Amino acid sequence: MPEIEAVGIVKRYGGLVANDGVDLSVDRGEIHGVMGENGAGKTTLMSILFGLQTPDAGEIRIHGAPVRFHSPIDAMAAGMGMVHQSFKLFASLEVWENIVYGAEPRRGPFIDRRAARAQVAELAGRHRLAVDPDATVGELSVGVRQRVEILKALYRDARVLILDEPTAVLTPPERDALFGVLRRLAAEGRTVLLVTHKLHEAAAITDRVTVLRDGRTVAVLRTAETSARDIIRAMIGRNVNLIVEKGPAQAGAPSLAAVDLTVAGAAAKPVVDRVSLTVRAGEIVGIAGVAGNGQSELVEALVGLRPPDGGRVEICGIDVTAADVETRRAAGLAYVPEDRAAVGSALTASAADNLAMGFQRAAPLARGGLINPVAIAERARALIRRYAIRISSERAAVGKLSGGNLQKVVVARELSHDAPVLIAEQPTRGLDIGATETIHARLIAERDNGRAVLLVSAELAEILALSDRVLVMFEGRVLADLAQAEADEDSVGLLMAGRTWESA
Amino acid sequence: MNGAPRWTAVALRLRPPPVAIAILFAALTGGALVLVSGHDPLQAYAEIVRGSLSRDSLPDTLNWATPLVGMTLAAALPLRGGMVNLGGDGQLVIGGLIGALLPLVLPGQGALVSIVALGAAALGAGLYAMLAAWGETRHGIPMLISSLLLSYPAVGVTSYLARFPFRDVATGLPQTPMIPEAARLYTLSGPLDAGSLLIAAIAAAAIFVDRRTVVGYELRMRGKNLRFAGYGGVRLDRQAMRTMFASGAIAGVVGAILVLGSQFRFIDDALLSPSYTWSGLMAALLVGGEPAGAILSALFFSALQTGGFAMQRETSVPRVLTLVLQAIVILFLAMRQGVGRRAS
Repeated sequence: MPEIEAVGIVKRYGGLVANDGVDLSVDRGEIHGVMGENGAGKTTLMSILFGLQTPDAGEIRIHGAPVRFHSPIDAMAAGMGMVHQSFKLFASLEVWENIVYGAEPRRGPFIDRRAARAQVAELAGRHRLAVDPDATVGELSVGVRQRVEILKALYRDARVLILDEPTAVLTPPERDALFGVLRRLAAEGRTVLLVTHKLHEAAAITDRVTVLRDGRTVAVLRTAETSARDIIRAMIGRNVNLIVEKGPAQAGAPSLAAVDLTVAGAAAKPVVDRVSLTVRAGEIVGIAGVAGNGQSELVEALVGLRPPDGGRVEICGIDVTAADVETRRAAGLAYVPEDRAAVGSALTASAADNLAMGFQRAAPLARGGLINPVAIAERARALIRRYAIRISSERAAVGKLSGGNLQKVVVARELSHDAPVLIAEQPTRGLDIGATETIHARLIAERDNGRAVLLVSAELAEILALSDRVLVMFEGRVLADLAQAEADEDSVGLLMAGRTWESA
Repeated sequence: MNGAPRWTAVALRLRPPPVAIAILFAALTGGALVLVSGHDPLQAYAEIVRGSLSRDSLPDTLNWATPLVGMTLAAALPLRGGMVNLGGDGQLVIGGLIGALLPLVLPGQGALVSIVALGAAALGAGLYAMLAAWGETRHGIPMLISSLLLSYPAVGVTSYLARFPFRDVATGLPQTPMIPEAARLYTLSGPLDAGSLLIAAIAAAAIFVDRRTVVGYELRMRGKNLRFAGYGGVRLDRQAMRTMFASGAIAGVVGAILVLGSQFRFIDDALLSPSYTWSGLMAALLVGGEPAGAILSALFFSALQTGGFAMQRETSVPRVLTLVLQAIVILFLAMRQGVGRRAS
């Protein structure tokens, strides 16, 4: 009998059907992958399993018996545990406080601190999840915080553990350690549901994979008997090319340069520590690194959103260190920001207004301070066509678009600047395979047209596939500048974890 | 050519269904209140309509609407860009006092003096409002707080000036001397003067700027997403200063219009007691600062408030009913918008 089942789950949000009769069946002690493109319904299904949402139809069964979760409290009581993509921890509290929160051992009306600490230490030891119960969570690395999340679920004796994209924030060694933990948990009879985008992870650790597409279960595959290509075909309904095709770079003159660029942080240590880099016309330079090692701050300092505390920035030979965003853009900079919703677009504004940003002051969109709505609409229609953005009309607000389509709006606008320098920050984060392919092909095409492209991505595979040179950032510094031939997952992975070339 | 879709867009922005529902709901609730108090709701409503929209009463409504629409625009401009100017009172009295004092000292009399006085009022109040923006961009003092706090010294100092140095000793009241007749605003008919035309022109300009200019586009984008505007190259600090200047300047003009057109002197507290600033802020908040909608809601409030006086005269229903109606409309619309935001 399966440990947990979802049968015919339907969930609608207004007109959108997120789950349209999803079936899922997971055995005890199994590591089960849940895969699918963005918008396939994975997150909705997991929310329903953890009691965050109630299904419109269908039921959940545990050991064959139907259950109804009205909240995560019900789900936890039934043995469910969840590790969210963004951790739900109190950064200012200690590890043990986070773990026992909501289920504290008591002595009379008081929390029995000694018992709590001892229980947490015992639990961590038993599962070989090394954490110091007395450490403050805010001071821990992301990988350790994830262990705290897992311990939190185990403290409540979760028999089914749901992990939503758990490796997105981890270095390769941290990822391997996590997989070790998951294997041990499965071996002792717990069940693991792993939501992931990444094929190699599914191949490495899962026993079976359930593939969702358009809110339906389209395949349940036994991993050992399945190729990556089969999974992809199930996910997108067609064959895809896994390899990015590109010829050798024809690098020209330096277009973007930073010299000893420094950004101070809240702590004594700078967030960006004397970074020097050069991107030449016609090449893609990738910045690899675990998110949070100064990449965002470096990019902000390059584009003018954050004043640097030292060093210089040059765009096409012009020193723009003291210049604002508009001047830098005029000097030849286009920028696809990390967060397309919070920075790259105005969600409640129309596609036309979104696509006009940055072009609003000059002909043909404006003349003498007056905007030309006809030209703005025409330009928007042309870009929507050229980039195949799925939207009802240029007057529709972009907030309702899927992540991939919204990203196409941002990319379409920035590439139409025809600027010699393009900074692309996490350009495919959260996008499905189809949209990712489109954007990768675009970046290569821009490079071949002689643009200087700086690619910042936490996705190592993306960096390795696209970049002509790879810089690795760790704790604000560039640890290495590797030619494409020297950069592979092992060498870059070690550097991402802070091991320098010599000591590696 | 694109007339039809554009009208749809305008209609959507004004959200007519919620507005209609809100008014209907308010009318029903208010009617029930009138009924419970033993009066005829239909008669009360008829008096409100007659007392605000009939041929005889329309000028009164428009006269009441002049400062209210003005202060609504003063609030709407920053709101459109996601900023809040709570200092309307201070900017209003600065404009009023400048409008009352300049005609007393300026050589030559006539239209030129009133134009100079209006311009000086706009400049003075605009610069004062800009202080709040400067405090935020240079020193990180939230504008919401600084604009309100700056209002108090302005009100206090103008009150002192009207009570002591510039007091009209002849009357014994806290007010400045009468301004010469020639410097007063040209009277159109009945209570209406050239100030109403000026406000109408400012209203038209605000709608035009919002829809057709680069400045309006950049302000709208700022209001929708500040970080997006900054990322796109909009100079946010400069934009905040300019928007607050424009907002304060409109408030200053309203103060000067009230002084030059109907009060003919600066009377302590006379500009503030009708609380145009707060009614205007309400009207602007209802539509998120969209100028055309803000003007419509200001006109609606004016009609309601003017009609209230007529209803009180003609029936024994107290005027406060119209304030109840206004409050219900606002609450209902605010609730609708809040609910809509969460669902999206």
